[in-house]
Amino acid sequence: MRNSRPETPVSCHERASLAADGRQAVAQLFESLRPELLRFAHWLARDRSVAEDVVQETLLRAWRSRDALKDPAAARAWLFTIVRREHARLYERKRLELVCLDDGIEQACVPVAHSPDGELQTLRGAILKLPLEYREPLIMQVLGGFSTAEIAQQLNLSLTAVLTRLFRARNKLRALYGLSPAPEDASSEGLP
Amino acid sequence: MICRDARLAIGAEPHAVPPGLAEHLTGCAACSQFQREMLALEANIRRALAEAPLAARTRPQRRFSTWSGWALAASILVAVLSTLVIWTLRPAETLAREVITHVNGEPDSWSSSVPVAAPTLDGILRAAGVALDANSNSVVYARSCRFRGHDVPHLVVKTSHGPVTVLILRNVHVGAREAFRESGMTGVITPAPQGSIAVLGRGDANLDEVSEQMRRSVRWLSQNPHAIFP
Repeated sequence: MRNSRPETPVSCHERASLAADGRQAVAQLFESLRPELLRFAHWLARDRSVAEDVVQETLLRAWRSRDALKDPAAARAWLFTIVRREHARLYERKRLELVCLDDGIEQACVPVAHSPDGELQTLRGAILKLPLEYREPLIMQVLGGFSTAEIAQQLNLSLTAVLTRLFRARNKLRALYGLSPAPEDASSEGLP
Repeated sequence: MICRDARLAIGAEPHAVPPGLAEHLTGCAACSQFQREMLALEANIRRALAEAPLAARTRPQRRFSTWSGWALAASILVAVLSTLVIWTLRPAETLAREVITHVNGEPDSWSSSVPVAAPTLDGILRAAGVALDANSNSVVYARSCRFRGHDVPHLVVKTSHGPVTVLILRNVHVGAREAFRESGMTGVITPAPQGSIAVLGRGDANLDEVSEQMRRSVRWLSQNPHAIFP
């Protein structure tokens, strides 16, 4: 006696359709994160063209490895990580055009139409002037939402080193506001 | 926790208040003030980072240094001089190629055999400011062609060794005789009193002889009868 309902066979066509739906969903997810990725890359690279290249390469790599993404909620952090790696790889791979930092900052601080706040512009310029070793963890933390432990893991640094770099980054920005910076010796960076 | 560690923790993670830090803050007004300042700064940092750093622009433009300015000027000078040199010393080969290209553009000219009527020939020659002091019965083809912006008589002369093409180039000056061979044709361009004469053949005709004959026969008129002003 067979009471159980027979399992509905999934045709090849239906499987293909499901796979296509999955691919489309991943593509939409990636595309929805592109603006955030671009902003993140932009702050890292300080150059829009480079940032666009980095994001393009990131999305390409992510698409090829999309099967590794099991949880869509983890996509953001995953893509941010790839952006950071691609940016680092870019500097390893080729020597980028060097520009006078002051020129770059000066150009970078062109007032944004929808953000007339001069104070913010000054702060943006100051963030851009931060050395990458300070700017990178700060951006990862604030824009990427990474914890200090995650930053340490990604940058291959000790937790103490990451805390120190974050402290120093903010301490340098304090000076912009006329605030007395905390003594730097309060943060002796640990070895990575 | 001591103040140094507290400020390190606040500076690294302004929003995080672990138990040790909270305890320290309750008894340390300076660190509490530091935390308030850092939280205010953090809010601004978040606002600052919320936008891309560059406003709809790409790479910063390079500022030209004095040296790069001189380098640019030198490059332009070299380019101008090169152009002048190339133009001035433009090889006859270029002229020869132009002549061949032109003749190839009128392939029927070689097959003409009927002598051109004297008035027609005279008109074509005069339009170019020249005349021919010789028996014109041997001219079997005559056209007034545009060549380098001027009307040029394009003639085909019948010889015992086959037809020979002649272009009387009143406005093209060459420094010396130039011989060439291309596209199954041989040719020679020789200087003339007021320009040059190009002679081309496809057979065994003695081009230098034809050229010399033309040089002696062509009369260079003092002015172009078609000119509006004398």
